[in-house]
Amino acid sequence: MEMLDRYLQAVRRHLPWRRQDDIIAELRANLEAQLEDREAERGRKLTDAEMQAWIRQFGSPLQVAARYQPQQYLIGPELFPIYRFVLRLAFGWCAVIFLIAKTVEIVGNGFPIQAWAGALAQLPWVLFVNAAIVTLVFAILERSGVKIPEGAANGAPTDTDWTRGVASPFHAALDKRRKPKTYAQAVIEVISGWIVLIWLLLVPHYPFLLMGPGVLYLKVTPFQLAPVWWTFYWCVVVLNVAELTWRIIDLLRDRWQESHLARHLVKQACDLIPLLIILAAPGRVLVLLKNPADMTHASALAQINLWTYRGFEAIATIVFLQLVWTTGRMSLEAYRRRLATAR
Amino acid sequence: MTLAENIFENLRLELRRGCLTLAVLVQLRHEHYGYTLRKALAARGMEIDENTLYPLLRRLEAQGLLTSEWREEAKRNKRFYRLSADGEEIFGQLLKEWNDINTAITNLL
Repeated sequence: MEMLDRYLQAVRRHLPWRRQDDIIAELRANLEAQLEDREAERGRKLTDAEMQAWIRQFGSPLQVAARYQPQQYLIGPELFPIYRFVLRLAFGWCAVIFLIAKTVEIVGNGFPIQAWAGALAQLPWVLFVNAAIVTLVFAILERSGVKIPEGAANGAPTDTDWTRGVASPFHAALDKRRKPKTYAQAVIEVISGWIVLIWLLLVPHYPFLLMGPGVLYLKVTPFQLAPVWWTFYWCVVVLNVAELTWRIIDLLRDRWQESHLARHLVKQACDLIPLLIILAAPGRVLVLLKNPADMTHASALAQINLWTYRGFEAIATIVFLQLVWTTGRMSLEAYRRRLATAR
Repeated sequence: MTLAENIFENLRLELRRGCLTLAVLVQLRHEHYGYTLRKALAARGMEIDENTLYPLLRRLEAQGLLTSEWREEAKRNKRFYRLSADGEEIFGQLLKEWNDINTAITNLL
């Protein structure tokens, strides 16, 4: 019995803690009943050697406990084809982005051979981290029990209700415009959103990721960016985090195919916020002199500030007009749908 | 194990997996606890390893096909299982499916 107790204790250590007591109690009752039968057959208690042989046939405690786990795999057969597809895509893009960024950095430093060797040695590690992130995302999706519709792995649209397309010319046109997003597309959006966010967070430390070779000019130029750009930058980061979170929630809730008109409008409106931050810069100053006493570049500075500000005014106007256009179009569509339903 | 034996073993396990569930559901029309269920199945030619049977019972219970209760029997607490109402319904459907497949295979042979 002592041996059986030790065995059950070993099994317990590998069980989910919430169900440990219940599973062990049941397992004990079943095994003790089995042991009693064996002893009754022999008319005596089992020897230590017999007991050991009997317990050994159940398998290792880890294997026994694993059978009680709800999930035995990290990424199941349903998600795996999409995982492999996204992994290949992420590998390719990651390698390309990394090599371009490294090339720019190395060119800026005068082509040292050690830098090339270092970059190539670093590449496998970067790809490994990339694979780990993709795997983690898919493992989370697997554990969340996200349902994958048929055909998602092939990138095929999953909306198989073809009768809607022939119901009326109006609906056919509307459906064509709103081709349903596939699961693979939704996952790629999340992963690319994640990569963009990492890229954004790296930009302040590695400006070449944004400016490429132009980063060399930053060192020699007499100008520098005004503090308002930090507010602009963090606003952009927050908006990206919010959008990424939204997309992940959609995936987890199995609602990636739904089109959210209101959300689309909110997103367009939010896109205006960083632009308004720039337009509200004190004194319309977006660029400063590194040395404020240096008046030789004062007129150039004024021109840079003027044209940068006007550029942002133009961009903000375009985004605002887009917002108005989208709002109008959506209102019209909603009105037409209402009319069609009323008929 | 040769390749052919390996392929046969995989196919055999695949074929057996669904049958085990059906066998357990058949047997649990009457109440059993884990060990007596295993013995009852073995007595009718359906041997099931305990590492397969006991977790299977929990999975079927989690799916709502079985109900269970802890009760003392022979001075020992045991967990007794039996078919739930949902389980009875699904068992009926599975049994029909099993009979259809059996008939189809017999016809094919």
